[in-house]
Amino acid sequence: MFNPLEHRGIPLERQIRNWRELSVEPIDPELVDPYTRCRIIALNGIEVEAVNCTHQLIRFCDSDEVRRQLAYVSYVESQQQRVVNWLLPGINSPLEVTLGYEQTAVDLTAWVARNEPDPYLKQAYEFGVLEDFDHLYRYANLYEMVERRKAEKVVDQLTEVMPGRPTTMHHRHPYDEVRDHYDRDTTDVRSKLHALTILAAEQQVMNYYMNVGPHYMEPIARQLYQEISLIEQEHVTHYETLLDPRETWWERQVLHEYNECYLYYSFMQQESDPRIKAIWELHLQMELAHLQQACEHLRRFDGREPEQIVGTDGLPEAVRFEPNKAYLRELIATQVDLTKLGNGYVREAHERFREFQERIHGGEKPPNERVIDEHRAEFGREYRIETEGPHPVRELREPAEVRRG
Amino acid sequence: MVEQSQRTTEAREPDAIDLLLEQHARIEDLFRAVLRTTGNAKREAFEDLVRLLSMHETAEEEVIHPIARRRLDFGDAVIDRRLDEERDAKGMLAGLVDLADRGDGKGMDASFDAELGRLRLAVLTHARKEERCEFGRLRHTAGEERLRTLAGAVRAAAALAPTRPHPSLTSPAANIVFGPALAVADRVRDALREVRRDNV
Ligand SMILES: [Fe+2]
Ligand SMILES: [Fe+2]
Ligand SMILES: [Fe+2]
Ligand SMILES: [Fe+2]
Repeated sequence: MFNPLEHRGIPLERQIRNWRELSVEPIDPELVDPYTRCRIIALNGIEVEAVNCTHQLIRFCDSDEVRRQLAYVSYVESQQQRVVNWLLPGINSPLEVTLGYEQTAVDLTAWVARNEPDPYLKQAYEFGVLEDFDHLYRYANLYEMVERRKAEKVVDQLTEVMPGRPTTMHHRHPYDEVRDHYDRDTTDVRSKLHALTILAAEQQVMNYYMNVGPHYMEPIARQLYQEISLIEQEHVTHYETLLDPRETWWERQVLHEYNECYLYYSFMQQESDPRIKAIWELHLQMELAHLQQACEHLRRFDGREPEQIVGTDGLPEAVRFEPNKAYLRELIATQVDLTKLGNGYVREAHERFREFQERIHGGEKPPNERVIDEHRAEFGREYRIETEGPHPVRELREPAEVRRG
Repeated sequence: MVEQSQRTTEAREPDAIDLLLEQHARIEDLFRAVLRTTGNAKREAFEDLVRLLSMHETAEEEVIHPIARRRLDFGDAVIDRRLDEERDAKGMLAGLVDLADRGDGKGMDASFDAELGRLRLAVLTHARKEERCEFGRLRHTAGEERLRTLAGAVRAAAALAPTRPHPSLTSPAANIVFGPALAVADRVRDALREVRRDNV
């Protein structure tokens, strides 16, 4: 398999791009493969995480020479982020981008869950994916109400749109969001890469919702973004606590760069649009040089070799965007009523969960339920895409369907 | 009555802006349909598109832009730009109709698709600008009642430009001439001015 440690990539000093090179042609929102949009969204999250992590590290680093090196790579990563995110077209509304974000979260997390070797980590992804799956359904109903369009325009029929674990139940005491972390010395390298990837994606979702939400004028839109952005806050805690806190800054840098190589390499394999594929390839070549510098820092400050962190086998099986319908239906059927207690998962509505629910909902229907009520009132139905038959959980079928059935 | 008990809000009748947004969605769908089909299906989709676009832009010009001009801050500047865009789009559309009417529908070749792609981008961009700079702000300044009243005018306009709910699989569409579909604009304008005179 491709081993990023064995390649030097484009020399760092040749990685700064000018305005013309930064000014990329956006994708066509109507004709694009929805999974191309997902790859853009996922890689944007990865670059944002890379930039922000390096900004943090610079604040904790007291060698001027190294601060300069970090500042330089961070600038280059920032240009990568601008290129990737600027592939999104201005004629898309924030809500359409939001549908893309949730589709990304659903199908990326589902792929990771299916491929995660560690059962505890796998459970974390299986738990989380059912929540973003439900967000997609809530936003799709909002989209039809506010913009009079159908989410199928954005997600096509690749991802189903129907209830997952109901969003109301996602609000838990933050204590219960904290997971056990993997062990940096014994865990499979795939687990480290999966955790970083999903963490980066969820963090970007949180940042996006909490910043874009107030731009809407419709009260229900503002409220729904506020609600779901707070769940994404919890998702970030959920995933970031999977990472081993004993990993050093230099080790994390190596993992970040290695993971960027992994994702650009993966998406390059799968990309259907040749123009976009060329960008993934270029960025992979840039990341290889970032990785080299991170490895030097690891040797110098930690006295360790990168192979001790990421092994010698090269990249794992490529990450793919693909439909996960059967898998998701299976998870819905078996895990929809789970909540969290301590570092684990339970079915009962325990005391801390109940108290938190009472506190946050204040005895009223939260925005995620009102958006469905209002949609039903206006259209006489909900917005769903159920391509594989009726909803697997009877209580989560549309009311009319329940009556008929 | 499961549904009844779950309703917490009163059913909301669509207002003029809702209807115009639905037309935007339909326009987007038809552009995609024309680009992705061939033969009869393509001709039918294009005829629907010409009719819908002509009707839609005229309805906006007659019904919603005049109010926006009066009610919005910088209304003149916002609406003048929209009208410029609509004029450009109409010019492109007329050019496309000419192209398509040439040679009994055989004018719908690759150069037609390229030109259609340009029109599509212009129209989609224009529609989003309306949504962001005009419709959203109008909801807050024009008042619900007024917008609901205007829905009647938008419906009247739409009635003059029926589109096919689904592409027909049987009717031979080879003889479609697209010029008449453009003329929908005039009929819509006349009808809407009639309505306005009656209401004065
Ligand atoms: Fe990067
Ligand atoms: Fe999430
Ligand atoms: Fe990097
Ligand atoms: Fe319009």
